[in-house]
Amino acid sequence: MKMWIVLEKRPRIRFIGHLDMLRTMQRALRRSGLPVRYSNGFNPHMLLNFAAPLSLGMPGRREVVEVALAEDVSEREFTERLTQSLPPELRCVRCRAVDDLHPAPMALLRAAGYHFELTEGEDAAGFVRFLPEYWALPEIPAIRKTKTGEKPCDLKPLIHVLQADGAYAFDAVLALCEAGTCKPDLLLTSMAERLGISKPEALVTRTQLFAERDGKLIPLEEA
Amino acid sequence: MNAQQERAVERILERVEKPARYTGGEMNTEVKPWEDTEVHMAFCFPDIYEIGMSYLGMKILWSIINRLPYAVCERVFMPWTDFSDALRREDIPLFSLESRKALRQFEVVGFTLQYEMSFTNILEMLDLGGVPVYAADRAETDPLVIAGGPCACNPEPLAPFIDAFQIGDGEEMMVEFLDAVRDCRREGLSRRDTLLRLAQIEGVYVPAFYRAEYHEDGTLAAFYPIEPRVPAVVRRRILKDFSNAQYPDKFPVPYTEIVHDRIVLEIMRGCTRGCRVCQAGMIYRPVRERTMEKVLEHAENLETSTGYEEMSLSSLSSGDYTCLSPLILELMKQYRDKRVGVSMPSMRVDNIVKQSLEELSKIRKSGLTLAPEAGTQRLRDVINKGVTEEDVLRAVTDAFESGWSTVKLYFMMGLPTETDDDLRGIAQLAQKVVGAYFAVPKDKRARGLRVTCSASVFVPKPFTPFQWAAQDTIDVVRVKQSALRDYLKIKGVTFNWHDSTTSYLEACFARGDRRMAAVLYEAWKRGCKLDGWSEHFRYDTWLEAFDAVGLDPAFYANRERPYEELLPWAFIDMGVTQEFLRRENERALHGRTTKDCRQGCNACGIERYPGVCPNLSMPPRKVEVSIEC
Repeated sequence: MKMWIVLEKRPRIRFIGHLDMLRTMQRALRRSGLPVRYSNGFNPHMLLNFAAPLSLGMPGRREVVEVALAEDVSEREFTERLTQSLPPELRCVRCRAVDDLHPAPMALLRAAGYHFELTEGEDAAGFVRFLPEYWALPEIPAIRKTKTGEKPCDLKPLIHVLQADGAYAFDAVLALCEAGTCKPDLLLTSMAERLGISKPEALVTRTQLFAERDGKLIPLEEA
Repeated sequence: MNAQQERAVERILERVEKPARYTGGEMNTEVKPWEDTEVHMAFCFPDIYEIGMSYLGMKILWSIINRLPYAVCERVFMPWTDFSDALRREDIPLFSLESRKALRQFEVVGFTLQYEMSFTNILEMLDLGGVPVYAADRAETDPLVIAGGPCACNPEPLAPFIDAFQIGDGEEMMVEFLDAVRDCRREGLSRRDTLLRLAQIEGVYVPAFYRAEYHEDGTLAAFYPIEPRVPAVVRRRILKDFSNAQYPDKFPVPYTEIVHDRIVLEIMRGCTRGCRVCQAGMIYRPVRERTMEKVLEHAENLETSTGYEEMSLSSLSSGDYTCLSPLILELMKQYRDKRVGVSMPSMRVDNIVKQSLEELSKIRKSGLTLAPEAGTQRLRDVINKGVTEEDVLRAVTDAFESGWSTVKLYFMMGLPTETDDDLRGIAQLAQKVVGAYFAVPKDKRARGLRVTCSASVFVPKPFTPFQWAAQDTIDVVRVKQSALRDYLKIKGVTFNWHDSTTSYLEACFARGDRRMAAVLYEAWKRGCKLDGWSEHFRYDTWLEAFDAVGLDPAFYANRERPYEELLPWAFIDMGVTQEFLRRENERALHGRTTKDCRQGCNACGIERYPGVCPNLSMPPRKVEVSIEC
C-alpha cells in the first residue's frame, strides 16, 4: 500500500528547499520506524515523492506527500508515529492509505490555492481593490519565464479563483500542471504591470492542492 | 523581539544567502520556555551555522545545560556578511535561533574557541548582540561573557573581552559554573562578587583579577593575581569518569546540510602518542576510553532520535581504541539492516574487520587519508611521529590492493630543524606512493590514481614541546612552498598549500599575550571578520592594526623564546608540566623519539594527580603504529 501524507510546512521553515525537505522527511520516516519501502537498486532509496515542490520562502498548509510501504499500516497508527517523529515545524495534518495502483499525487495535480498577504499600506489596498477588474478581463496576456526563455501566454484560463480577503490580502487558485502553470509571482507581476506600480511585497502561502473530477476542482488529498 | 522587528527579520531573510542558517526550528531543538528558567545561556559558535552545527562539543554542552531544571541554552552562530549588514541597517540585535532573543538578554553568553582566526567574530557577535565588547565596559545588567575550548589554553589575547574562561573538560565544570551563577543571582551578588565566586571553581580563570607586567623588550616580566582570593595557578579541569560522563541522547538534526551531517560517537578523549606538534595530544591528556557498552548505548539513542543514515567515531586517534574491531563489527551488525552506514578509521584494523570493510567498500569508497607530517625519518623523529616510510607504503599498498585509488597525504612545512632535504623527502615519499600503486597488477587495482599532498604551515602552539620555537617568516615559507611545488611536479600528484599569512596571524594569537587584544580590537574596528574565510581575510588590514597599536607580529611568531622567558600561559597548569615540555623539546632537537605512554610512563605531569591517568595503573603494552592522526 501507499500512504498519502498531508503535511503542513510552517512559516518558520519556509526557506528550506525541496531537496532538504525530501531529506527531512526521509529522516523523519526513519525515526518513526514505519515500514517504508525502498527501491531495488544499487543504491536503494526511499520511495517518497511530493505532489509539487514548494518555492523557496513559501509555507504550505496542506502539501501532499506519498510514501510507499512494505507492510500495511493503519492510517491512525501511521499518523501517530509520524507525528512523533516530525520536526517541530512540520505537522502531519492527516494520512490516507491508497492502493499501490492509485495514481501518484503528482499525476493528479491540476491547481493550487494560494493566500497572498501584502505589506499593509495604500498600495496594497489599491492592489486588492483591483482584483475584480483584473479578473474580468477577457484575456490576460503575460510573459512566462521558463528555462528555455520567455514565452507569451494567456493567464486568464489559468486563474480559477481570485478573491479579496480583507483590505490587504487575497486568495487565488491557480493552475499547476503540465498543461499550464501560473506561478503566484507571475500573477503579482502581471497585476502590478496593469496597475502601473512595482510588484508589491507579499508573503504567499500555498493553502491547498487540487485535482480535477468531472470538470470541477476537488482537494488533491481526496482524489 | 517585537512584532515590527520580526517583520523586518522576515524581509531580511528574503534577501540573504542561505536564510535557513538563521531560522532554527530543527528536530530535537525544542527548549524550555524562557520565562520558566532562571539562567539563560547563549552558546555562541564564532563561525557560520554549517560549521558550528557540526561541532560535537556544542552538542554535548547544549544538551547538558538544557537538562538543568533552572537553565536554558540557546544557539547563536556568526552570521554571514549579508545578514549582519542587514541587522545593523535595521537596528536588530543578533539573536538566538531557539527563541530569537538578543544576546544582551542572556545572563551568560559563552563562546567556544576552536581556532584563532575566529577571534574577530567574537567581537563582531558581541557587538551585533548589543553586548559591550570590553569586559570593563559591561554594566551589572549585561551578560557574563565566558569562553572555553582548546584555544582557551592561552586565553591572554582575549583577556580584556572575556569575563571568565573555562579551561579543560566542560561537562562537569559548566554545571558547577551555572549552579554558581544561579546562586549568585539569587543572593543578588554584584558582577564582581559573582566573578570572584566563579573563580573558585577548578578550571575557571577570571582575567580581571590578574595583572601582567612587561620588560622593556616586550617580554612578560610578571603575571600575578591582584585579588588575594583567586588562585595564582589555574588548574585545567579534567573529567575523570569519561565513560559515564553525560552524552547527548539527541542531536539537533538540521534541515539543511552541514559539514559533518551524521551521528558522532566519541569513543576516546586524549592521546598517548606524544606527537610534538600536536596541541590536542598534549592538552587533552590523559587518554580516557569510553566502554564499548556505553558507545553502543549512545549509538542506539542517537540512531533512534536523529534518523541519521551515517555514524562515525570521534577521537584523536581512533585506531588506538582498545575495542576498535569488536566495536566496528558490532555497529555494522546492528545497523546494516537499518541502512545506517558506519564510517571508520581505515587503518589498523584486523582481518575480520577488513573483510567487512571490503564488503562495505562495495557501496562507498572514500579516499584514504594519511598524515606522515614530515618527509624524512629524521624529521619525523624530531616531531615524534612514530611512523616509518614502510608503514606508509604498506598502508597505501593495502588500500590500492583493496580497490582504493585516492590517497591524501598531509604534511607540515616549517617544522623545527627542517632543511631542503626534508622538503625533497615529501616529494620522494609521494613518488613512492605512486610507485606502490603501479606495483599492484593492473587488473587488481582501481583506475584513476589520485595522490593529493597537502602541506600546511607549522604553527608553534602553547603547551607543546615546540612552544618556544620560531615560526618561519612569510618570506621563507614562500620560498619553501615554491621549492616544494617544483619537487612535487609528479604525474598523478596534486599539491595543495596553505596561505602563509593566515598561519602567521594564527601563530601571533596562539602564543600572544594580553597586548594582542588591542591588535584584535583594532583589526575588528577596521572591518576584519570571518578571517577564516579567504574571501574575507585582509592581511594588510591586520598589519595596519599591529602598526596602530605599536606591536610587531614577528615578536610573537618568528622569535625563538629562551626557556627563561615567562610565557603568557605559564600560569595555567594544563596537566603536562613545563619541565616535561622542555625535556621533550631537547629530545626533539637531538632527534630522539619518546615512547607511546602506554608502553610506560613518560612523566608528562599528569602523574602528579593520583587516579587521573588510567595508563598508570596498567602494565606497559605493545603499541602499533598510527598514521591517521
